[in-house]
Amino acid sequence: MRITIPKVDPFLLWLVGCVVAASVLPARGAVLTAFDTAADAAIVLLFFLHGAKLSREAVLAGIGHWRLHLMALAFTYILFPALGLAAAALTGRVIDPSLAVGLLFLALLPSTVQSSIAFTAMAGGNVAAAVCSASLSNLLGIVLTPLLVAVFIHSGGNAGMDEWASVQKIGTQLLLPFLAGHLLRPLIGSWIDGHKKLLQPVDRSSVLLVVYSAFSAAVVNGVWQRVGPFDLGVLLLASAVMLAIVIAVNGVAARAAGLKREDAIVLLFCGSKKSLVSGVPMAGALFAPAQVGMVILPLMIFHQLQLFVCAWLAGRWRRELDAAAVADSVPLPPQDEAAMLARAGEIDLPVPEECRPGVQANLALLTQHARIALGEGGA
Amino acid sequence: MRTATAIAAAVRSGDISAASVAARTLDALRADRHVAVTRVLAERAMAEASAVDARIARGEDAGPLAGVPYAVKDLFDVEGLPTTAGSAARTKGPAAAADAEAVRRLQAAGAVLCATVNMDAFAYGFATVNADYGTTRNPHDPARLAGGSSGGSAAVVAAGLVPLALGSDTNGSVRVPASLCGLYGLRPARGDLPVAGTFPFAESFDEIGPFAADLGDLALVWEVLRGGAVQPRAVAPRIARLGGRFRENADTAQLAAIDAIAPDAPLLVLPDVPRARSAAFVITAYEGGHLHREALKADPFGYDPAVRDRLIAGALLPDALYERALAFRADYVARIEALRADYDVLLAPSAPCVAPLIADPTILIDGEPVPARANLGIHTQSITFTGLPVLAVPLKRPGALPLGLQLIGKRGGKGALLRLAHELEERGVTGVTMPAGAYAGEMT
Repeated sequence: MRITIPKVDPFLLWLVGCVVAASVLPARGAVLTAFDTAADAAIVLLFFLHGAKLSREAVLAGIGHWRLHLMALAFTYILFPALGLAAAALTGRVIDPSLAVGLLFLALLPSTVQSSIAFTAMAGGNVAAAVCSASLSNLLGIVLTPLLVAVFIHSGGNAGMDEWASVQKIGTQLLLPFLAGHLLRPLIGSWIDGHKKLLQPVDRSSVLLVVYSAFSAAVVNGVWQRVGPFDLGVLLLASAVMLAIVIAVNGVAARAAGLKREDAIVLLFCGSKKSLVSGVPMAGALFAPAQVGMVILPLMIFHQLQLFVCAWLAGRWRRELDAAAVADSVPLPPQDEAAMLARAGEIDLPVPEECRPGVQANLALLTQHARIALGEGGA
Repeated sequence: MRTATAIAAAVRSGDISAASVAARTLDALRADRHVAVTRVLAERAMAEASAVDARIARGEDAGPLAGVPYAVKDLFDVEGLPTTAGSAARTKGPAAAADAEAVRRLQAAGAVLCATVNMDAFAYGFATVNADYGTTRNPHDPARLAGGSSGGSAAVVAAGLVPLALGSDTNGSVRVPASLCGLYGLRPARGDLPVAGTFPFAESFDEIGPFAADLGDLALVWEVLRGGAVQPRAVAPRIARLGGRFRENADTAQLAAIDAIAPDAPLLVLPDVPRARSAAFVITAYEGGHLHREALKADPFGYDPAVRDRLIAGALLPDALYERALAFRADYVARIEALRADYDVLLAPSAPCVAPLIADPTILIDGEPVPARANLGIHTQSITFTGLPVLAVPLKRPGALPLGLQLIGKRGGKGALLRLAHELEERGVTGVTMPAGAYAGEMT
C-alpha cells in the first residue's frame, strides 16, 4: 500500500471558498438572518447526526483499554486546554483577541472520529480501540467542551453572550439534538451507518452553511480589517507548536506507559486531533454570531495542519509495518535465472552453466512444494 | 534362506561355523545379479566370522546375532573404507576411521558385515537409480525398480543373499523399497536407533532402519540396534485407518487389506497431508543442499548430474522458507499427536503401487504419470514429517508383485506395532514371499 501525503483537503477548499464567498458577497440584513436561522437548523441537524452516529456499543466494546482511553482523554481535555491557554495568552498580545480565543477554543474540542479511525487503520493501529476512544471523546465532548468553554472563555466575559442564553443555546442546539439522535439510534442507527456516503454531504454542507453564515457576520463586522497575513502566520505557528508539543509528549507518554505499537498509534491519532465538524457548529452555538467567524479561523488552520502531519505520520507507520511484513513474508525459491544467480551469490555457491537448466527445473518443482507448504495451495 | 534367528542359533550351538556362513554368503554376494552389491567385504567378513567362532570355541556368549551375515547401505561408515553415500567421486575421499555406531552394535552382537550396497546417490530418490553404480533391480522382477533410496539393502535381503540389511529412511527410503521388494522394514521413532557414523542427508528426518525377511529377525535386530528389547504389547492395539489422501493413490489390494485388517476401525483423515509432504520436501531439499554446499562448490561435476541439480536447487532455497516449513512441522506434529491420541496404530499404504518398470520409471499420481524417483514416497513422506515410528509390513501375495503397508505407531508405542505385525502374519494377511530363484543357500 502506497501512502502519499495528501494535497490540500478538498473540504478545506470548500471552506476557503465559503470564506471567500462570505468576504466578497456577505449575507446581510434579512438574508443574514435567514442564513443564521438556516445555520442554527444545520447545527441542530449536525448534532442530531453526531448523536445518531456514535455507537455506545463501540465505546463499550473497546472500553477494556481504559488506560489507553484515559490517556487519550487526558491529551484532549487536559494537555490541549493547557496549551490552548498558554497559546491564547501569548498570541493575544500580538493578534486579535478573538483569534486568540479561537486558539483556546480549538484546544477544548473533542477529537475527530472519522479521521482518527482512518489514520489509525492506515498506520496499522488498533482500529477497535480507536473507534472507542474517538467516540468516547466525542460523547464526553458534548458536555466537556461547553463546560470548558464556560470555564475558560465565557468566564472572562469576552464571549458577548449572557450565561443563560449560552446555556439555553447549548441545551437546544447541542445537547438535545445529540441526545435525540443518540436515543433514536436503535431505530435509525443502522440506516445511518449504512448511508454514510449519503450523509457526508449533509454533514459537510451543514458545516459550510455555518461557516458562510459566520463569516458573513464577521465580514460585516470588518474581519478583514482586523485579520492580516501576520495574524494568519501567527495562528499557523501557534497551531504548529501546539501540535508538535502534543505529538512529542504523546510519544514519551506512550513509551512510558509501555503501550504496544498498535495502541500507541491510537493514542497519537485520537489524542492529537481536534474535530472541525464538531467545532464549527459548537462555535455557532457557543459564541455570538459576529464572533464565530474569528473563533473558527484558527480551527480551520489547525484542521489542515493536523491532516498534513497525521497523514505523514500514518504513512511513516505504514511503511514501517510494510517493511516488517516484507521481512516476515517468506520468499519463494528463486523464480528466474537472475534470481537464481543472485541467491547463489549470496550463499557463495557458483552454479555452473551446464547445471542451470536442471537447477531451474528443480527450483520450479520446489516452488510448487513451497507454495503448498506455505498453505497457498493443495487440498 | 534361513532366518537370522535360525542362523544365530545354529552358530551358537556349533551346528555350523560363522566362517562357513560368511564364506557362502560372500560367494552369493559376489554372484549378485541385481546391481545391489557395491563392495563385498570378504576380508572383514571372514575376520569377524572367525572372531565369533573363536568366542564360541572359548565357550563365550557370541551374541544374539552370532554369525548372522548382513549388508549395509553405502552411507554407513565402515572402518578403513571411504563412505561413498552412493557417489563414486567419494571413493577418492578419506577412509572412515571407525564403524558407524549401528555397525559397531551389530558386530558386538556377533553379526558379520559382508557387503556394502547400492543406493540413490546421497539418498536423494525413491528408486535406487544410480549414475555411478547402476540401477538396482527388484528380485521379484529384475525388469523393475527395487525402490529407494535403500534399494540395495532391500534387494539383497529379498534375493535371499543376507537375512538382514541396514538402510536409512529420511522420507521413506526404508519403507518404499520394503514395500516394492516385499519385506519388513523399520523407520524408528526419532532417537530410537543410532545414526552416528552415517552420511547424513536431511538431519531433521534422517533415521536408520533394518530390513528383514522375517518378523522375528526384524524384532531381534531392532532389539540389538536399540540396546533393549521391544516387548510386544499385551492388549490388542486400537487401530485407525488413514483416510483422505492415503486412500486416493493406492493399489486396491492395499486398501482391501487395510479394510480387512480392521473393518470397523475409524477412517482418520489427517489434516494438511499434501502440505506436510511439501514441507518435508522443502526441508529435505534445503538441508540436503546445505550439507553438500562446500562439496558442490569444490567439485560439482563429481556428482551424479540429476542429484547435483536437485542439491544445488535445495541450497538456493531462502532461509526463511525453510524456517517456516520447520515451524509448520512443529505445529503439525502437535496437531497429529492430539488427533491420533486414541489410536495405537494407524494403517496406511507404503509405496502407492507395485514396483515400476525400470524402462518406464513413472507412476500414476492422481491419474498423471510422474517420475517414480521423486514420487514413490507420496505416502511415506508426510508420515516422516510426524516423527512417528513406522513398521513397514509386506502383504502376503504369493505369485504377485509385492505391496506393503505402513503400521504407524505412537512415540513410545513400539510394542503395539510388533503385536499387530505378529497378529497380521498369523492371520495370513502379511508375510514375506521369497521370489522365485531367490538364493536358498546351502544352509537350508
